[in-house]
Amino acid sequence: MIVPYSQVLVLAGLLFLMGMFCLLSRRNLIMMVLGLEIMLNASAVAFVGAALRWQHLDGQAVAIFIIAVAAAEVSIGLGLIVWIYRRTGTVDAGCIESDACRID
Amino acid sequence: MNWMIFSPEICCLATALVFLFLSMAPVDSRRDYIVAIALTGVAVCASLAGIHAQGELFHGTYRIDLFSQVFKSMLLMGLFLVVVISSGLNGIERRYHPEFYMLLTICTLALMMLVSAVHILTLYVALELSSYSLYILVFLRKGRDQGTSSGMKFFLIGASASATMLFGLALLYGATNAAYFRVLIEVIPGVIHQPEVILGLALALCGFFFKMAVFPFHFWAPDVYEGAAHQVAAYISTASKVAVIAVLLRMAALTGGASTHLVHFLAILAIISMTVGNLTAIAQKDLKRLLAFSSIAHAGYVLVGILCISPQGNTSAIFYALTVLLLKFTCFLVVVQVAFDGENIEIDRLAGLHRRSPIMALALMTALFGLAGIPPTIGFTGKLLIFTAAMEKGYFALVLIAMFNVVISLYYYLLVVRAAYLLEPAEGEGALAPMPGAGILAGTLVAAIVAIGIYPTPILELIRAAAMALG
Repeated sequence: MIVPYSQVLVLAGLLFLMGMFCLLSRRNLIMMVLGLEIMLNASAVAFVGAALRWQHLDGQAVAIFIIAVAAAEVSIGLGLIVWIYRRTGTVDAGCIESDACRID
Repeated sequence: MNWMIFSPEICCLATALVFLFLSMAPVDSRRDYIVAIALTGVAVCASLAGIHAQGELFHGTYRIDLFSQVFKSMLLMGLFLVVVISSGLNGIERRYHPEFYMLLTICTLALMMLVSAVHILTLYVALELSSYSLYILVFLRKGRDQGTSSGMKFFLIGASASATMLFGLALLYGATNAAYFRVLIEVIPGVIHQPEVILGLALALCGFFFKMAVFPFHFWAPDVYEGAAHQVAAYISTASKVAVIAVLLRMAALTGGASTHLVHFLAILAIISMTVGNLTAIAQKDLKRLLAFSSIAHAGYVLVGILCISPQGNTSAIFYALTVLLLKFTCFLVVVQVAFDGENIEIDRLAGLHRRSPIMALALMTALFGLAGIPPTIGFTGKLLIFTAAMEKGYFALVLIAMFNVVISLYYYLLVVRAAYLLEPAEGEGALAPMPGAGILAGTLVAAIVAIGIYPTPILELIRAAAMALG
């Protein structure tokens, strides 16, 4: 094995924290969903690294499923964002919360 | 492969497919309602008939035993009851009614898979499937203000909680090389003192704490209960909670009680959830928000049972799942009847309910007394079982704090009962015209709450056997 597991874990942890930071600091809904995606992919990286560590295929299978589930999550998330945009005219999370930028 | 033991899930899937096709047909709410009642009734019968089924499916990733079957029966009964109170369904636009039933059955299917899942992958896929259906259900609320912001909050918090859970599972898998729960159960107690295992377990539990609305993942609950249609809120507070209790029991059983850190972690969360839930509920004016905070408090009580990690603790948690299912559903039955137009209701609007509809007032009073833990209701029995299980493990302080919380909760439950029984109805409020059959349903529920409270032995025997199957 070329890359030690601990380094894969550091990469995955950093990716996860970056995704979480994006989710918490951004106010644009699309960017928040993007942050969620990064968090999911961080877990996929960790699973693939673990599969390589143990020479065991289960982790790879989980990673493939994560990609599929993440696609479903994006489609639902974007669908909901479109629905929110039609109803409120904004994709800014703060605005929707406080009714600050109502269009009508 | 033995498909017979998979029949409750197949019934559920078939129901979802029927509604997928009905959603493309011309709108007819009456037809949808009758079809939904018939099909979910069949599913309940299938699950009750298969309650002693046993076996493994899909390469051992899906385990069917008494534990999972008891929970599946409870879930399908929850689904059936929620469908029964959907006859008006005025909180959701008419053209979305088939979708409502479809998502509800898909969500139940996913929750049933969740309680049977014994592999990381099945667990994750089932959890995501159930969450995605619920996100959309919350958004379906009629009126532009109600569903949008609470649905958005639900989606963002929910998706981040499940991503966190997934990362925790990845850490667990990386540390142990085990994806099957039966392997994890053997490996984890040996490596529990490695930091990555503890971190992995704690993160993995976060996803379920979100679903159960345990502190610090409880922020969505009041908004979602308020923002979602009554029937959806009833579903979230009953069926979804029941399934999560099952998964938390399985996850807690993984540690085999070997980690005091984890027990302390759970105990702290339980105490904070109870206290925050009960204290905040006192200030609530909206009945659904009050019920949301009371579920947060009840999640804390269940955690006390779960963190015992003993057969008694597991039995008490399973029994409490049944308790929450019956009591919360009865409350929501009354909410749906009083607010038949689908609008939210303030507690003041219950004024004079005993004149307007005596049976609904009785049902509300019994359910609230049950939630407060007053004998001879099922709520008392449930709390007694949890507290005795915790006492046997020697968690005296925890039980004492829980007792204090029970007293606090009595205050706001009694405020609601006072509104229903002691206040005079507002001018022009005539007799309540509940949906047909609501009186019979309320009477049956009251009878069940009291009967199981007085004589729980047969159900307790079944649940004890189920807790043994958990291993």
